[in-house]
Formats: sequence, C-alpha cells, structure tokens
Amino acid sequence: MLYFRSIKEKILTSLPLVLLYLFSFYHFQIPEVGKINFFAFNFQMILIYFYTLKFPDGLGYGNIFLAGIINDTVLGTPLGTNSLSFLTLSLFTNYIRNATLRSIWTAEWFTFIPALFFSNLVYLIIINNFSNISFYYIELLQNTFFTFLFFPIFHYIFSQYQRLISRE
Amino acid sequence: MADNRDDFLIAIRYALLKKGAKQKFSLFFLILLSIGIITVDKLTPQITHPIKGMLNDLVYHVSVVSSQPSKLRKYIAQETIKHYDVIGENKFLKKEIEFLKKQKFNNAYLSTENQLLKNALDLSIIKGFDQDFSISAKVILDQSSPFLKSLLLNKGTKDVIKRGMTVFSNDYLMGTIIETNYLTSRVLLLTDLNSKIPVIIENTNINAILEGTGKKQNLRLGYLPENYIIEPNKIIFTSGKDGFLTAGIPVAETYISKKNKIFIRLLGDPDQAVIVNVTNGQIKK
Repeated sequence: MLYFRSIKEKILTSLPLVLLYLFSFYHFQIPEVGKINFFAFNFQMILIYFYTLKFPDGLGYGNIFLAGIINDTVLGTPLGTNSLSFLTLSLFTNYIRNATLRSIWTAEWFTFIPALFFSNLVYLIIINNFSNISFYYIELLQNTFFTFLFFPIFHYIFSQYQRLISRE
Repeated sequence: MADNRDDFLIAIRYALLKKGAKQKFSLFFLILLSIGIITVDKLTPQITHPIKGMLNDLVYHVSVVSSQPSKLRKYIAQETIKHYDVIGENKFLKKEIEFLKKQKFNNAYLSTENQLLKNALDLSIIKGFDQDFSISAKVILDQSSPFLKSLLLNKGTKDVIKRGMTVFSNDYLMGTIIETNYLTSRVLLLTDLNSKIPVIIENTNINAILEGTGKKQNLRLGYLPENYIIEPNKIIFTSGKDGFLTAGIPVAETYISKKNKIFIRLLGDPDQAVIVNVTNGQIKK
C-alpha cells in the first residue's frame, strides 16, 4: 500500500516535468482566431517561472536545460538557444525569489514581465548573432504578451494542483 | 549605494551558484554549458553536425510519438464532426425521402388525374361533342344515400353549366345535371330511382325506358312490349327519342347473374368516376 502511495506521489509530483518535456517535444497548434492567435503563448515559460519561483525542486535546472535543447532541436533553432533563454528565466526568477520576502501573486505576475523580457532578449540576441533565421518580431511580441496575460490562470491552476498534492 | 550593489551581487551569485536539495547542476554551470554549445555549434559545425544529427533523429521520433495524443484528439474531433454530419445528413435525407415519397404519390395522383383528363379530352375531341358546350369537371363528392344517387362536380353556373346537361365518364353516360350552384353542380346518376331515359336494345327495334333502381348492377327496363324476354349480353343504347340525347350512346348491358337471372347493369361505373365531361347532351357520331 505504501509502495503504491509512493508511486502515486511520484507520478503526481513529476507531472510538471512531464508537461515541460511534452511541450518541448510537441508544440500544440491551436487554430488562429482572426489575425491574432490569442492562444499562442509560451506554456513552458509559465511553467518554468512558476515552479522556479514557488517550487524550485519541482523541475530542476538540468531538466530545464534538456527541455531547451529538445525545444531547439524540434524548432530548428541553434542548439542551446532555448536552453539559455529558459535558464536566464530561471536565473531571474531565482533572483526574485531570493529578493522577495513575502509573495503576492500580483507581484509575481508583474515580475514576470522583466523575466520574460530578459529571457526573450537572450533568445533574440542568439538568434540574430548565431543564426541566419529570419524572425517575426510581432509574433514574438504577441506570444510574450499572451504568455504574460495567461499567467494568473496557470498560477491558479498550478497552485491548486500543488495544494492537492500536498494534501495527498 | 555600494550596499545595494553588494546585495544585488550576492543575490545574483546566490541564484547562480546555489543548488537546491534535488538539483544536480547549478544554474551557472548550465548557462556556461549552453553558451559553450552555442559557440561550438557556431564555430565548428563539422564537429557538432553528427551529434546534432543523432539528436535530431532521436528527438524527432520522440516528437512524433508525443504528437500522437494530439493527432488522436484531432482524429476524434474530426470523426465526431463527421459523425454529427452523417447524423445531420441522415436526418436531412430522411426528410427528403419523406418529401419525395409524398411527391411520388402526388405525381402518381396527378398522372392519374392527367390521364383521366386526357380521356375526357379525347372524348370531346375524338368523339366530338356537338359542341355547343363541353367541359370537364372533377367529382368532388359522391352522394350515395338511399334517396338519391348523385355526384357533386366542381363546376357550376360560373362555368356555364346548366340544369339538364348530361354527364359522361369514359365515353359512357352517367347521368344529368339536376342542380346548379355558382361553383358546384349535382349530377343525378342513371342508377337513381328518378332517372329515366329512352333506350333501344342492341339488334332489335325494341324501345324502352331505362329506369334506375338504386343499384348499378340492377337497372330496369320499363315500357317493354308484352311477353318480351330480355336476352343476355345485349348492349342498350340511347334511342334519342327524347330529342335531347343523341341516339346510339351505349348506356347499359344485359348479363346473366350468378343465380342465372338476367339483369341490366351500367357500362360505366359511377362510383369510379373522378373526372367527368359535362355536355349539352349530344355526341356527334
């Protein structure tokens, strides 16, 4: 019984990791609504930001790095680009976590803006200097904006999920 | 100011170097590793190319596998849409079949009606009514009461139908108009008790009056010569003695019943009349 419980616990705690890898391997295509794709947001960034901020042991930097590498391979960007972008996000988030005494979700939401900014900045620098890939800046901007916009929803979902796990 | 900068540096250093309880690598190490990979990939692509190729193959295959749930979702969504489309189509087709069946019945009815009208028209064209007047009318009601054997037609005084006009169905005399209204008229059938027309029997010169009895299989011949025995299978024609009906219109026939009795029956069946021809009473031979 205890054995099964520990398996269940492991499965539940590793779900964010599974999601991180799943979204690295496969980019879900959501149909566009009009000219703007409202649902084109970066789920991985939300996941990394939330878990690095609230539950740093939930994902692990090694996994974030590997997920980035996989993401690069799938997207065809230079190897290490997404890894470095994700790690920058983790670094910034780690810094916020260390600098913050009391966490309020609105503060976490707004600190997501500079985190996203630095992460995307690193991404753009590498793309522009280490590859010949043309880039749609508007799309990146839209993506970043909706990633920021949807953060509270996922913040709530992940919080509830973690609360559920801790109860178990 | 210097304190603030020191705090910032400490926090950054802490963020970079500190490993969690379950962390195997520090952020600093991984960032350096990423930068290293990017640099090597950029500077010496010939070295990283085979490794990258293997990595690509592996990741692509896993990516294909990981995309299966999404494909399944799409497949299920498509199949569900198809299913509902088929249901919708089925409903539509069922309705269409119902509609077409109704149309078919309607067509059949119209075709029959058309045939009847054609027949009626043939009667007026080929046989050639002595056309002061001839019009086709539809039987809208057949009244078969013990007192009156009659039909109601959908033509009346509006269509210049007058009392006393004769009505034919499929070349056979049916009766006469006894009542006219603006839009309808009533036909007194030959089978009615009140119907009496002068007739002549086939291959004889015997004149008589054909009287209705209320039964289409049993009419009566009045005013026959004494001791005259009616023979079976003789056609009874109009004699034209009334000066109204043309002589030689076939009206009835004699026949032997199952009980070996000779009866007279009408050639036309008034019960089957749907379209009739109303004339001023005469058919040109």
